[in-house]
Amino acid sequence: MASTRDIIRRIKSVKNTKKITQAMELVSAAKMRRAIEAVLATRSYANLSWLTVLNLAEVADRNENLHTLLNPRKEVKKVAIILITSNRGLCGGFNANIISKAVNSIKLHSDVETDCIILGKKGAAINYRYGYNLAAEFEKPDVTNEVEEVIPTARLVINDYLSGKYDKVMLAYTDFISTVKQVPRVKQLLPIDISQKDEYLGVIGSQAGEASTPRFHEGAAMSPEVVSEKQKKHFENREYIFEPSPREVLDEMIPRLVEIQMFQALLESNASEHSARMMAMRNATDAASDMIDDLTLTYNKARQAAITSEIAEIAGGAQALESH
Amino acid sequence: MLLHFEIVTPERVVLKQEVLQLTVPTKQGEITVLPHHIPLIASLQAGVIEIVMPNKQIETMAVSGGFIEVLPTKVVILADTAERAADIDEARAEEARTRAQETMLEKKEHVDFTAIQAKIAKEMARVKAVRRHRGRGSHTT
Repeated sequence: MASTRDIIRRIKSVKNTKKITQAMELVSAAKMRRAIEAVLATRSYANLSWLTVLNLAEVADRNENLHTLLNPRKEVKKVAIILITSNRGLCGGFNANIISKAVNSIKLHSDVETDCIILGKKGAAINYRYGYNLAAEFEKPDVTNEVEEVIPTARLVINDYLSGKYDKVMLAYTDFISTVKQVPRVKQLLPIDISQKDEYLGVIGSQAGEASTPRFHEGAAMSPEVVSEKQKKHFENREYIFEPSPREVLDEMIPRLVEIQMFQALLESNASEHSARMMAMRNATDAASDMIDDLTLTYNKARQAAITSEIAEIAGGAQALESH
Repeated sequence: MLLHFEIVTPERVVLKQEVLQLTVPTKQGEITVLPHHIPLIASLQAGVIEIVMPNKQIETMAVSGGFIEVLPTKVVILADTAERAADIDEARAEEARTRAQETMLEKKEHVDFTAIQAKIAKEMARVKAVRRHRGRGSHTT
């Protein structure tokens, strides 16, 4: 049995680790809250711009000349996948999950060439572990609160798509559903599919059939009446005036839509990362507590055994003296 | 008759309230929107937005571009950036504008000129917004 002094030393070290994991949990919780607020704040813009593009496309549809970024290509030869991961580890299965999701989606289309564009240091694993080609690596800021931070990435994929380098651009990110549930998701970024509403666009914690967290809806900046009025308008009366022209407005609006989608995906991933880290740290703290309990028990046992044996020795010694 | 007015940027909702009228700088010139305007979607250029509040007070804002969508009783502005004039520090806005112009004049290589031009336009809009805001302030008092 280990000596009592060794056990005391272990207990001390585990206690120190516990303090650190506890602090990290609190920090992650605060960061997560901030990331969630940021996502909610973008919902208004995202929903409104989405509806405007829909309205515009409706009008543009009549003259058959949709925007290039809206037209799916007949032949898909090369695909880019934007992979959003974290910069740091210690966040449970967060990075492993999103990377394996991305790898699976690449494998589904094994006949097309795929380039990876990574945001976040840990995404490099897709290259060194799975051997996929890295086209670009963008530095991910630790704190994201401005759309400007995704603009370089968005520009790159839009330009490469327009120049014909890629025929499709996918976006792999982690959808934040609740503090205990995050789902890795891969969605199509380009061409924009206007025939189906992007139901995940800026929607936090509200998903059909899955655990929803109503408290996130309260802070939602999106006003449903705007959407409903716009939709009513959109169906009843399509007499919009466009200045300068539908095409030019679309030309400006669509890159914005791509940017906002990326921005939201980044914020969602951040919220997921922080909540994954929070859970990992909570588990570590719990494990440390259990370990301290175990070690304390062992320590007490060892101490008792030492005392017992000491008494036995004394008693034995006394008896030896008496019998003498 | 009031307009439901909402101005949002990708980062946040800047202002959401009822207004009497507003003037915005579109790519084809300044327009003023009153209730029952015909549905319109227009792209904006960097400039100053003037909003007349229900109490007849005028709120001035600087935008750096974006879109306006007008419905009969509702106006939505999707701005790239938007700031209330009262929140802009004039000295710093002016400084930022000069700095952007200097970068432009230095004609450095590997500089994105369109980006700088956009920046100059944005900073000019901010300076203009503050000046208009101030100018009006001295009138009323």
